Amino acid sequence: MSENQTILEVEELTIRFGGLVAVNNVSFRQTEGEILSIIGPNGAGKTTIFNMMTGFYKPTAGHIRYRGRSTVGLPTYAVSELGIIRTFQKTMVFPKVTVREGVMMGLHKSSSVSWWDILWNSGRKKKEDQGLEGEADRLLEFTGLEEKAQMEARNLPYGEQRILEIAVGLAPKPDLLLLDEPASGMNAEESAAAMALIRKIRDMGITILLVEHNMSVVMDISDRIVVLDHGEKIAEGQPEAIQNDPEVIKAYLGEGFHRD
Amino acid sequence: MGLLSLGHLAFWGLGGYCSALLAIKLGWSFWGGLLAGGLLAALMAWLLGMLILKVRGHRFVIITIAFQLLVQLVAYNWISLTDGQNGLSGVPSPILTLPGIGTIDFFSKTNFYFLILFFCVVTVYVCYRMANSRVGRALVAIRENENLAESVGVSAFRYSMIAFVVGAFFAGLSGSLYAHYIRYISPDMFEFIHIVELLTMVLLGGRATILGPIVGAIIFSTLPEALRFLPNPFWGVSWAPEHLVMSKMLPAELQLMVFGLILLLGVLYIPEGIVPWVSRKWRKWRGISSATEAGSV
Repeated sequence: MSENQTILEVEELTIRFGGLVAVNNVSFRQTEGEILSIIGPNGAGKTTIFNMMTGFYKPTAGHIRYRGRSTVGLPTYAVSELGIIRTFQKTMVFPKVTVREGVMMGLHKSSSVSWWDILWNSGRKKKEDQGLEGEADRLLEFTGLEEKAQMEARNLPYGEQRILEIAVGLAPKPDLLLLDEPASGMNAEESAAAMALIRKIRDMGITILLVEHNMSVVMDISDRIVVLDHGEKIAEGQPEAIQNDPEVIKAYLGEGFHRD
Repeated sequence: MGLLSLGHLAFWGLGGYCSALLAIKLGWSFWGGLLAGGLLAALMAWLLGMLILKVRGHRFVIITIAFQLLVQLVAYNWISLTDGQNGLSGVPSPILTLPGIGTIDFFSKTNFYFLILFFCVVTVYVCYRMANSRVGRALVAIRENENLAESVGVSAFRYSMIAFVVGAFFAGLSGSLYAHYIRYISPDMFEFIHIVELLTMVLLGGRATILGPIVGAIIFSTLPEALRFLPNPFWGVSWAPEHLVMSKMLPAELQLMVFGLILLLGVLYIPEGIVPWVSRKWRKWRGISSATEAGSV
């Protein structure tokens, strides 16, 4: 697959909750291997788009196509089977299991042993378990959590819980990884490390769609940026252009409340 | 997986009725009835699961109670089949014929004990293997964080269904064993007290573990017997009511009170259950900070 192939098409996406239009007629495309960021003030509809992409919400109108295939109406687990994996804005780990077990749970799709193998604890199952454990350890090494492998996830410092979320998200081998404010609540140093990790993930060949409300965090790593405000797309383009876009500046300075 | 089903009593009773009826009305052997009882319970769980496994929390619990009451009502009122409140007596004891070896009769309590022990071991083995596999991991993932589990490809519906149906299958087997042990079956099998006893065992021993319910069941059934040997504090006390003074050993009504008190203290001070509590203390003592809880579902 060439670098310039479209992996994701969002077309005229709209969702209403009662009288509130949370996302209004938003369209964008993402090409394979690209880091695309969706930014906007709080309440702009960024997370809502993720929720529509991954089966948590059903859009009122519009299309979402992943490699030409519509994901609208699919349950969450089925979306993940297509190769789209998301993380959450509020920290989401498996709290009462160890870091390593949590990553093992993320490897669910890699396990294919039959009931027969499970009941008799066959050689095939033991071998698969070893393979999964090895893979979990590799992921923990990749994300720098290897020394915390035996800790319960809820006892990790906040910043590392957020990294663990990414490790769990990588476990199902996504082609498209949706990261929802991965650096929120991190200090500048942690945030820079997280961005370096995200770049490393892209270099592995995984396409990344990032949601962030803090513009400065994503300026460096984004190939392109889509800006939302009050559920509508107000700008799209390269980071430098976005930074100087008057509409974007207006939205971020808070003058955007009565744009029309 | 973090769902509390109070409907397993219904599956227990269904298994019992199915197996007893097949034996009495159609002359099936215990073994055929046992399997049929388990399968019928599993089938009913699947049908019920299709309707209710998308529901979570209190609503799920309430629906399972409703289902259990519904099955009890059927048992009371389908008189041509179940003889209603009278129940059905004459459920035969199991007989095992081994070609070349002879027959084993499970009429005696001792033989039946080993029969039940055998199925107990099989059940625990299956649960243990399931818990230590992708199925167990998926179920723990759903319990820990359902949204995240779905996001990494675990179908909460599918795995809840697996747990529900497998649980119902074993409940059905157990109901069949019970019916052929007591050799009588009636709608009393669906009385709510049974589920309270079951829950007490699970909570006492430690939920979401394999060993917990076993420990809980052993304590729950042997403790009342052990209490019979406590001395009677009122023995020979002149001011006490006459029926409490008679025996050197603790009278039955006081036994129950002590039993209740012990359970109460257990739930108050070891709310997590005995098995998780002991293993936590053990790990602390050994200085291991956060090892994994093996076989946790």
